[in-house]
Amino acid sequence: MINELLLQFGQWMEAQQYSQMLVAGYFSYSWLEATHVLTLMVSIGSLFIIDFRMLGWVMPNVPASTIAARLHKPMIIGFVIMFITGLLLVYAKPVETIQSLWFRIKMILLLLAFINAWIFNNRLKGAEGNWDNDPVAPRPLRTGAIISLVLWCGVVTLGRYIPYDWVDCTNTTNTTILWAAGCVDQLNAL
Amino acid sequence: MLGSILSQYARTLSVFAAFLLIVLVEVLGIREAIYPSLEAVFNWMNQSSWLGIIGTTYGSVYATVEAVHLLSMAVLGGTVLATDLRLLGILFKDIPSETLVTGTHKCFKWALLMAILTGIFCAAGVANKVYFMEVFWIKMLVLLVGSCFMLFIKQPFLTSRPHVEIDPWMMRLLAIASILTWFTVAATGRWIGFS
Repeated sequence: MINELLLQFGQWMEAQQYSQMLVAGYFSYSWLEATHVLTLMVSIGSLFIIDFRMLGWVMPNVPASTIAARLHKPMIIGFVIMFITGLLLVYAKPVETIQSLWFRIKMILLLLAFINAWIFNNRLKGAEGNWDNDPVAPRPLRTGAIISLVLWCGVVTLGRYIPYDWVDCTNTTNTTILWAAGCVDQLNAL
Repeated sequence: MLGSILSQYARTLSVFAAFLLIVLVEVLGIREAIYPSLEAVFNWMNQSSWLGIIGTTYGSVYATVEAVHLLSMAVLGGTVLATDLRLLGILFKDIPSETLVTGTHKCFKWALLMAILTGIFCAAGVANKVYFMEVFWIKMLVLLVGSCFMLFIKQPFLTSRPHVEIDPWMMRLLAIASILTWFTVAATGRWIGFS
């Protein structure tokens, strides 16, 4: 049911004039993709520096909360640009993207990463004691930093997998993969 | 006298010598003479080296290494931005710039090493294509210049004396040069993917 709805939504988007314009213009799509990828250096770059500080890998002599607070703004700016360009990339190729297994797993990891960031932020605010100047953050924050690193590595890796067609609807007959990727037509044809 | 000048301006002279070398390589036609012979090396990288064979045979391995390359560039970008925005006086104003310059350098070096290693693998997988791409050679040149700039000019200069003794405009120029260099490396890398 959900797969049918998502497919209909994708087909509706694909029929839009602006969606076709985005994908037809070689440079418009390339610029979008380039901006999406290059903003990694701002968003994930800043996020990783914060995580690395919690683990004591960079600037252990600088208070951890200062690093987190100062890098918060560039990180958010980077993520907003990534989010907007990401949405436009989906809008340009909606059916292909919605029926990508990698895209679906990426979205789940993205959701988990945001939940982890929210928990991490709350822990950072609620962390008691004067650990801020310690080279390594307390265990709960270190755990949050490691989870964040793993999840974002997963998000980037799966984002890289999306253009590859190994498990595209037309390249697999495995029913579990077809269901997970939302390949409605192929499942109906079986 | 000459020795004193050479030691005092060692870095400046090295940069000038490197620039002169590049000009000579171009003017004397050395680049044009070397370029055709490199095609065989690139074909070997793609078809016979184990990096090229793995890259062309296993798409998933290639894509995963590409992802590690992107992540390395992200970390590199994070360290460059944190340091250079401090040198520009935009971020971390309450932290001494010396602390950031020294605190992020190790991370920068690891990220650069990872980016180069994974980049070699990625290039080997498509070596027979990148050889003909102008943008690939631009990226290699900027990467070389950027690495030398960071490791032999910017970092030694910024760690050689307290930053209060350095002209603020010099620090800003170093930061702008660094941001532009690494942005060019990343952007040309992205362009290789489109070509």
